[in-house]
Amino acid sequence: MSLLSLLIFLPIVAGILILLLPSAWQQRYKYVALGAVLLQMLISAYIYINFDNTLSGIADQSTFQLVERIPWIRLNLGALGNLEIDYFLGIDGLSMPFLVLTSLVMLVALLASWDIQKNLKGYFALFLLLDCAVMGVFSALDFFLFYIFYELMLLPLYFLIGMWGGVRREYAAIKFFLYTLLGSVFMLLVIIGLYFSVTDPETGGHTFNMLHMMNPANYAQDSIFSVIAGQEIFGVSARLLAFIVLFVAFAIKVPIVPLHTWLPDAHVEAPTPVSIILAGVLLKIGGYGILRVCLSIFPDAAIQSAWWLGLIGVASILYGALNALAQRDLKRLIAYSSISHMGFVLLGIASATSEGISGAMMQMISHGFLSSMLFFLVGVIYERVHNREIPNFRGLALIMPRYTVFVMIAFFASLGLPGFSAFIAEAFSLIGAFNSQSINGLLPRWMAVAGSVGILLGASYLLWTLQRMFFGETRLWGGDEWKAKLTDVNGREVFALTSLALMSLALGILPSLAFDKMNASVLELIQLMNIR
Amino acid sequence: MIPLSHYMLISAALFSIGIYAVLSKRNAIMILIGIEFMLNAAILNFVAFSKHDKFAASGQVFALFAIVLAAAAVAVSLAIILNVYKYYKTIDPTKIDKLRD
Amino acid sequence: MDTFTKETISLLALIATLLPLFSFAGILLVPGSRDRGSFFSILNIATSLLISVVIFLNVWNKQPIHQQFDWFIIGDWRFKIGILINNLSALMLLLISFIATLVHVYSTKYMEGDPYIFRYWAYLGLFCFSMFGLVITDNLLLLYMFWELVGFSSYLLIGFWFTRETAVQANKKAFLMNRLGDLGFLTGIMIVFSQFQTLDVNLLFSEGGFFKRSLVQGDLWYFSSNHMPAVWLTIAGLAFFFGATAKSAQFPLHTWLPDAMEGPTSVSSLIHAATMVAAGVFLIARIYPIFNPTVLIVIASIGAFTAFMAATIALTQNDIKRILAYSTISQLGFMMLAMGVGAVAPAIFHLVTHAFFKCLLFLAAGAVIHELHHLKDKKGLDFDHQDIRNMGGLRKFMPITFITMLLASLALIGLPFTSGYLSKDAILIQSFEWAESQGSIARIIPYTALFASWMTAFYVARLIFKVFFGELRLNVLFGQAFSLHEAPVAMKSVLVVLAIFCLFPLFSLNPFHASHAWIIEGLPYFSTTPTVESYHILIPAVVSIAAIILILIGYKWYGKNEKAPDYTKAAVFRFSQEQWYLNRLYKVMFVDSVLGLARTAFSFDRTIVDGIVNFSGKIIIVLSAVSEWLDRKVVDGLVNGVASVARTIGNFVRHFQTGRLQHYLLFMILILLTFFVLKYFSQAI
Repeated sequence: MSLLSLLIFLPIVAGILILLLPSAWQQRYKYVALGAVLLQMLISAYIYINFDNTLSGIADQSTFQLVERIPWIRLNLGALGNLEIDYFLGIDGLSMPFLVLTSLVMLVALLASWDIQKNLKGYFALFLLLDCAVMGVFSALDFFLFYIFYELMLLPLYFLIGMWGGVRREYAAIKFFLYTLLGSVFMLLVIIGLYFSVTDPETGGHTFNMLHMMNPANYAQDSIFSVIAGQEIFGVSARLLAFIVLFVAFAIKVPIVPLHTWLPDAHVEAPTPVSIILAGVLLKIGGYGILRVCLSIFPDAAIQSAWWLGLIGVASILYGALNALAQRDLKRLIAYSSISHMGFVLLGIASATSEGISGAMMQMISHGFLSSMLFFLVGVIYERVHNREIPNFRGLALIMPRYTVFVMIAFFASLGLPGFSAFIAEAFSLIGAFNSQSINGLLPRWMAVAGSVGILLGASYLLWTLQRMFFGETRLWGGDEWKAKLTDVNGREVFALTSLALMSLALGILPSLAFDKMNASVLELIQLMNIR
Repeated sequence: MIPLSHYMLISAALFSIGIYAVLSKRNAIMILIGIEFMLNAAILNFVAFSKHDKFAASGQVFALFAIVLAAAAVAVSLAIILNVYKYYKTIDPTKIDKLRD
Repeated sequence: MDTFTKETISLLALIATLLPLFSFAGILLVPGSRDRGSFFSILNIATSLLISVVIFLNVWNKQPIHQQFDWFIIGDWRFKIGILINNLSALMLLLISFIATLVHVYSTKYMEGDPYIFRYWAYLGLFCFSMFGLVITDNLLLLYMFWELVGFSSYLLIGFWFTRETAVQANKKAFLMNRLGDLGFLTGIMIVFSQFQTLDVNLLFSEGGFFKRSLVQGDLWYFSSNHMPAVWLTIAGLAFFFGATAKSAQFPLHTWLPDAMEGPTSVSSLIHAATMVAAGVFLIARIYPIFNPTVLIVIASIGAFTAFMAATIALTQNDIKRILAYSTISQLGFMMLAMGVGAVAPAIFHLVTHAFFKCLLFLAAGAVIHELHHLKDKKGLDFDHQDIRNMGGLRKFMPITFITMLLASLALIGLPFTSGYLSKDAILIQSFEWAESQGSIARIIPYTALFASWMTAFYVARLIFKVFFGELRLNVLFGQAFSLHEAPVAMKSVLVVLAIFCLFPLFSLNPFHASHAWIIEGLPYFSTTPTVESYHILIPAVVSIAAIILILIGYKWYGKNEKAPDYTKAAVFRFSQEQWYLNRLYKVMFVDSVLGLARTAFSFDRTIVDGIVNFSGKIIIVLSAVSEWLDRKVVDGLVNGVASVARTIGNFVRHFQTGRLQHYLLFMILILLTFFVLKYFSQAI
């Protein structure tokens, strides 16, 4: 059993253990979960330290690390050939950072769920199931396995929002569920199409192996997605159509404008830990999917549609930021700011330059830490007074000084203050987008300039919020009752917030911590895109 | 010489009377009598047609057989009727509708 | 002193830069009493000052020092950062550490008793760190990082008294306006990186650097194998200048600076007069080769216009700090003008002299404010302690403050024997020479600056006479005789030290001519415009004589008794006092429109985007209702229909099964008959 399997199935084991424990011990469930998550953290730290920077991964199995490939399903389908599904795991520079990110975000989310009171058994079991699915998505290299983990994520999330959420939780849960399902159903069609187009060069049978899908030589002649045959569906190139379908499936996760409206609702209704996981990890699955699947398997279509991707990125940046500016609910504001920040990811990816893609990766990692921190902070205040309307608070700096310090760190870090990871990420996404015109001519220069306006808008809504909620004389809607309830952050919260802030700071000062690990993969990916 | 059709008419009349009796009487004995009417109509036909028979008087032989059989059948029928009466305390066929179930 | 190697000097520079950061981190992370930190941060900044002196002596007019380290690798590109210390940055390092040390000393008394003073020291440390980093770094991206950090520490310091609504409004405004400028800076970085694949200042902008080697041919701008449309060269220049515009408070991004006066006065003097606002000028000097003639004309015009506009506003303000703030904007306009006309060395020279006299003006004003505030608290009175209409006659109470402030004012006006005379006249002379070579319309620019210079004389005279001459107007206001005290020793000594730097000998041995000032000689950029000898006599004379006349008018109007004509009703006066209505204009044009746009976007999001989602949801519900109806009525109906037909038939047929023998017989006969009848008819047919 390799480390990756351990990483994936450790939470499941802990989840089963929780299910088996008697309900009388329900106050101890969280310690079981904490143990699993901490162990996971250690494993991913070990993986990070022992990661070989020079191996590029992407399309070549021999340059992947911690590879594990076991034949899983072998079915003789007669005339349709052999069904080959492998239990195929492996990591490269694109996926490894996310394993580390996930384990840290899960730890923070677990710390944020310390005070959950309702149905603890179900909560922690679902939580750990979600953990397992996310880890699986980031390390699966077989498309079928990937899809299984991808769908497996939906289930616990639906219940976590639908059962432990706020007032309109059912609406939000169903909206979230339908949106994501809509994307993934069509994805399944493309997966099947790919399956019938791609053959394993060793066995000659059809395969779900993603790495084989990246090599145009493996496509059967005249198959639907063959590069050479250039099949068309409804007069559109089949490969382009497949790219669009996959892109939409992942873009819903990212999310992009105009497929974003599930996000504010889901965030507003979800309990704090779920918001943390949602923003910290799940949005990244969208970006990761675009890199791993859309760009690598359909590089030709990706280059064809880069202009539109860039436009969507810029639109998301500006539109998300403008919407955030109009919010009164702090959590909704942060949700919209997520949309804005994830726009940089798309812009960077669309540029197809090494700066742009590295910047996009960095932005995903950085946003993972910072949005977790922001949602954690909202959770702190919501937990105390069950309110988070911005106009209801004023002058919190006087009664919660340490909390305010953390809020300022999180706000300034996410508005791109140098020294924090978001700055490096945003700067390089934009530099890459600008550079694209000179290097490969994909994106016009104005897109980068327009995207940079998002940085200004980001500063506006965050500073305005800071001014309205934290500065000035203390004035609370709930009066002295609130004042008594609004105690400063405690040790557990300080620990979670500090670790996130330190990660962001470390990446901001030493970007090489992330860039060095992913550089070989990014270069390989760009080469893969330019080969065809 | 009496033409054949006269015999036929009488026989038909007898048969019809018999049928009417079988279908409409509310007494099993009367039904039995109706059956005898119909048998006798048939016997009458046998005898009447035997004139045109190529073999010697086979119709009349048939008639004799039928008369004997009819006597036997009446005996059996009366026995059944007695048993029915014993069981149901009536011999009105409209009251006996066990066949329905 | 020459024994230091390059490595040692860069290490020293690094230490000097990191020491203030050390005070920032140390004060915030190590818990202690709330008034901790003063000694610690003064020690650190003083050490930085010492190191800066050593660096200066080792670098000035010697080989520049450039040391690089790998930071990270991105793509095929090795990102290096490093330290570049040439004359310019060594001078800036010295200037900043010197003034910062003085302000630190001054603050020990000025900020005494503030409940959160440890934060003040920490923020000052962060500011000094960012400023040092900004001047010594060799990389545009790193420069940008420190540039933003400077803005951030300024944000923290303006909003130091965060319970004051105006202060937090002001710091937000300052940060956002600087952010707007930063977009320009970032755009410039993107253009430079895209063209040259490096952000190394030394590679890009040195003699024979990449910029000198790139060339514009036709519509394209070439460098080795790269090219892009030539318009991007102009855009790059404008973009960097836009960044400098925000930081150096030039029109149209100047409105944050007067509001930033909400911060402590010591902060205003250090950040918003002497150092941070000069960063824009420094940036332009550092990347000077990027600017093509078009951009230079824009810089010159904006500079001249800002100098003029700010001077007109300063004429009518009543808040002592606001007058000084507009005067700062005006002087920064002069520096920008100098940059635009190619007078880089005079611009930096003016930056240095201005840093001293403007810092002194603010600190002296701070001393006055401090005393009045003290009086206000002690007597429990209610008046605006920053309003010059409440002051007057203060020279009797605070002689040293008066004399030092007077010296600084003379330097600001630019009268002979002061440092300001040397630097400002150098700028004016060179801009006239430049206009000569440019042609007729360009003359507007130096004349505008000349006007601004005259107005400076008048508003400074008004300030000094109103504050220090005549009688204390508070006495009239409250009907009792107040007495004030001189500032404490820590503040007073700082004022005296700064006052020395307002005089000529430290800068040039010739009090009338700047061309032999050591700063100008030490800086690399010399003007290419031809010298017009007559200007070198004419302009200083015209400026000084007019200034003296204006000061006399000022004395007559504001000196002993107020005899100024009442212009308060005039439209021009209102226009000036309302600061050209720019704040209101911006509020309507930008703040309101962006917020309106945001609200529109949100309602669009709620109604249209989410509406479409919900609408498609509703459509699906309607569709499913329809299909449910169809299912119930048609599909199920068919099945049920068959069943009910069978049942009806069954029900009907049931009646035939009476169980009566006679009925059965009847049916048999009827059927038999029917059969015969049918058979009969079928045969008949």
